[in-house]
Amino acid sequence: MYTTEFDYHRAGSVQEALALLAANPDAKLLAGGHSLIPAMKLRLASPPALIDVSKVAGLRGIRLEGVEVVIGAMTTHRDVEFSDVLRAACPLLSQVAPLIGDPMVRNRGTVGGALAHADPAADYPASMLALGASMTIASTSGERTVPADEFFTGMFETAVAPGELLTEIRVPAATLGEGQAYEKFAHPASRYAIAGVAAVVRTQGGSVSSARVAMTGAGYHAMRLTKVEEALVGQTPTPEVVEAAVRGAVSPDELLGDHFASAEYRAHLVEVQARKAILRALGSAG
Amino acid sequence: MTAVLRGPDLDRGRVAHSRPSLLLAGDEVVFAGQPVAVVVATSEAAASDGAALLDVEYEALDSVDSLEGAETDEVMVWPHGTPTAASSQAGLHGAETSSSDSGSASNVDERRVFERGDVEGALSGAHVVIDRTYRNARVHQAYLEPHAVVAVPGVRPGEVTVHTSTQGQYVVRAEVAGALGLRERDVKVVPMTVGGGFGAKYGILDALVAATALHVRAPVRMVLSRTEDMLTTTPTPETSIRVRLGVDAEGRVSALDVRAVIDNGVFRFGHAGIVATVIGGMYRCEHVRIETVEVLTNRAPVGAYRAPGVPQALFALESSVDEAARALGLDPLEFRLLNAVDGGDLTGTGRPWPDIGLRACLERVREHPLWRSRGSVPFEGVGLAVGGWPGGFSPAGAVCRVDSDGTVRLHVGSVDISGVHSSMVLIVAETLGVRPEDVEIVQGTTDSGPYAPASGGSQVTISLGGAVLDASRQVREQLRDLAAAHFEAHRDDVELEEGRARVRGVPAREVTFGQLAQLGERLPGGPGPVVAEGRASLKGGAPGFTAQLVRVRVDPDTGVVTPLEAVAVQDVGFAINPLLVEGQMHGGTAQGLSFGLYEGLRYEGGSVTTANFLEYVFPRALDLPTLEAVMVERPSEHGPFGARIVGEPPITAGAAAIANAIRDAAGVRVTALPVTSEMVWTLMRQEA
Ligand SMILES: Cc1cc2nc3c(=O)[nH]c(=O)nc-3n(C[C@H](O)[C@H](O)[C@H](O)COP(=O)(O)OP(=O)(O)OC[C@H]3O[C@@H](n4cnc5c(N)ncnc54)[C@H](O)[C@@H]3O)c2cc1C
Repeated sequence: MYTTEFDYHRAGSVQEALALLAANPDAKLLAGGHSLIPAMKLRLASPPALIDVSKVAGLRGIRLEGVEVVIGAMTTHRDVEFSDVLRAACPLLSQVAPLIGDPMVRNRGTVGGALAHADPAADYPASMLALGASMTIASTSGERTVPADEFFTGMFETAVAPGELLTEIRVPAATLGEGQAYEKFAHPASRYAIAGVAAVVRTQGGSVSSARVAMTGAGYHAMRLTKVEEALVGQTPTPEVVEAAVRGAVSPDELLGDHFASAEYRAHLVEVQARKAILRALGSAG
Repeated sequence: MTAVLRGPDLDRGRVAHSRPSLLLAGDEVVFAGQPVAVVVATSEAAASDGAALLDVEYEALDSVDSLEGAETDEVMVWPHGTPTAASSQAGLHGAETSSSDSGSASNVDERRVFERGDVEGALSGAHVVIDRTYRNARVHQAYLEPHAVVAVPGVRPGEVTVHTSTQGQYVVRAEVAGALGLRERDVKVVPMTVGGGFGAKYGILDALVAATALHVRAPVRMVLSRTEDMLTTTPTPETSIRVRLGVDAEGRVSALDVRAVIDNGVFRFGHAGIVATVIGGMYRCEHVRIETVEVLTNRAPVGAYRAPGVPQALFALESSVDEAARALGLDPLEFRLLNAVDGGDLTGTGRPWPDIGLRACLERVREHPLWRSRGSVPFEGVGLAVGGWPGGFSPAGAVCRVDSDGTVRLHVGSVDISGVHSSMVLIVAETLGVRPEDVEIVQGTTDSGPYAPASGGSQVTISLGGAVLDASRQVREQLRDLAAAHFEAHRDDVELEEGRARVRGVPAREVTFGQLAQLGERLPGGPGPVVAEGRASLKGGAPGFTAQLVRVRVDPDTGVVTPLEAVAVQDVGFAINPLLVEGQMHGGTAQGLSFGLYEGLRYEGGSVTTANFLEYVFPRALDLPTLEAVMVERPSEHGPFGARIVGEPPITAGAAAIANAIRDAAGVRVTALPVTSEMVWTLMRQEA
């Protein structure tokens, strides 16, 4: 299928992108194009103009800034997959990226595009919640920072407002005693997540001092599994404790269901993936 | 945009009775995916824009959305009677065709009963009776290349040339001529390279595109998108098959009662004969009753898909056979060997099989390490199932000639969908004594090709092979005659080897085939150019059977089934081109496993919800296990060189083998396809 006709603008800077956006309020930002272009080809989206931000200077790259890793919004999945900085400071994302799509998708798709798109079955959102990341959003009136917990507001909905641009993602670097893991149960056709669970767990003196566990894919948007987190903190994390903590992690009522996986089955898969992710995070705690 | 055409614009007063004969809907649409208008434009983008501008108003009518709903006749798919035509595509697949016993208005298009002995009596006397009902979702052929056609109006009015990706050019010619009311001589079909067919590439769009081209008086190209293709073409049917299998205390099958309901979608198709032939023809049994009920629903019409109807039928039969062996505490392989049919035993429709190799396949499996070393690893299991396909066979012709440079040209009217023409090259090379690379295939159109059947029903090698053999033998004799004249020797003393002729005992003198061809072309009063038309018409088929093993692991946490290893043993008669045969076995086995574990069109009401590759599950290379193809060669009495049909048998056993492996691994019996992880998880939970 073919897209409808559209104008194409390429922005060289954040300022230029924002100005173009202000001048073309119905335009869409184009990052890697791996969610937007398919939607346009299916004519689910027919924007009159695209503003390509994939080449904006300074928006691509991964760097350590004090105790934070800063990921430019236009950093590709492949950059994430092979980043030494992330492997050392945020191994969770190094695990997630290679599970996204195929090499072609990873070569073009971007972290910022994926987060702004907020596909309920996308992989990064669970990790950003588990990591306690924060998003930097720019507009003509300046910059603001939104914590991951407030970023994902619904199915394909985020805190990014019209006229705004997601510029970077800030992730706290892993600390001593912290383990991170992501477990994905993929849809057999699309390979997007049906139940993906990310866990970031810290232990101190043999017990869990903090736990952030989040899921994606099973519901309308990524969310924290707070019941599971609460059941872990302060406990000695034996397999039995973890098993008990994940039980009833999420109610089927909060989840999606389709012909491949009902809400009830998804709730079960979330438990299984949560258990695996937490145990693996615990096992890798440095 | 050049034109927008609606039903009345293309209407030629013909009744659409099949998918290929369907042009545009009139004022009633009978299935989701039925074409309602054609937008003609000078670019695909403009055509997409044009189509987006069309506003079709639909009023929802009552519809028949399910197989069960169809049988009640509460809502009628065709209140005024089912449109019919004399021909049926199933005939192309070697399936038995039949006449209808219910011409009146009913969604039950055809009900047939094949019966021998006293089934009820035998069932009540049986030691064990397994009674289960099996379901499967529709499976799409999912070839890589969606349907694509270019039609070009001819110089004379009413003439049209159709360039199409098809398995059967003569079939398409007849369809287009029939649907448009043209003479066959006015329709020329040029077969293009086929990007995957699996039974679905006879003709779907050809009549529509030809009619459009004639209407706008310009060449018209239509290429379906993946979604359009999955909505408007012809998948294999959903079925519901109840099997009651009776076995006596000695482990002999004593009764088989089958009721198979087959959803054909909006048009008639005809899977009954083949389903009955196979389901009642794998095991010796005196008391058999097979009832086939072919129903119509408001869904896209079904069509042929590699061994049409048989993966479904054998999923039902072989799952039940596995359960019967378990109930009796018998080894599933020995149980099958005790009962498996041989040449002379009866098919499900009561005809004797010719010589077949089912038992030979089972015996080979018995020796295989995967079977012998079946282990007891928790949640791992090995499943066994057998399969087979009677196969088609048809008369065919071929022309063979030798060119002046020694190149041998073989002119054929068959279409190569699988590399099958390479076997024809080998037959020529073998017969003439030339290298395969010296033989060129010339693919004819419907105007220029010697007649050959469609490339379906696994029949090309056995049907066309004889004609090619006949033509090349004649060419050999012509070369011999020319060489005898050239050497002034007796023809019986002429030897043909490596593209040259020599006289026995005089190795130093030789003449190339090219020189002989030149001689034939130039010698006044000589025998003439080297060219021969061969033909063949087999008297009987060369059925192919298979026995397959698959080892799986079932994840107790999630129900995910991972196939680890598969072995396909198949009686191929004689492998003319072993590489090709092995390829067919690999591909077919993969499709069979996929039928079991992955593929299925999902519907909501009458609409497909999985009409794209983001949602339609099928395996990628990494999802498939290691496949081992083991050939058994028990020569057929009919096929050339003893060859048997090869293409379709390997798809027939995989789904059942998967189901039986899951039973072995996790102790649960799946009765619906495709098997999803949720299904297995649910069954395991119920068991616990
Ligand atoms: C075959 C295939 C398989 C895939 N598999 C997976 C998978 O397994 N897991 C997974 O998570 N994803 C998967 N994806 C999606 C992939 O990760 C996409 O790259 C991603 O969802 C979108 O990123 P993008 O850079 O391509 O964004 P685009 O498609 O360019 O944009 C997506 C949306 O975000 C908006 N946008 C882009 N950049 C910004 C910005 N800086 N600020 C504000 N809005 C912005 C755009 O306007 C658009 O609405 C798959 C995609 C394909 C094609």
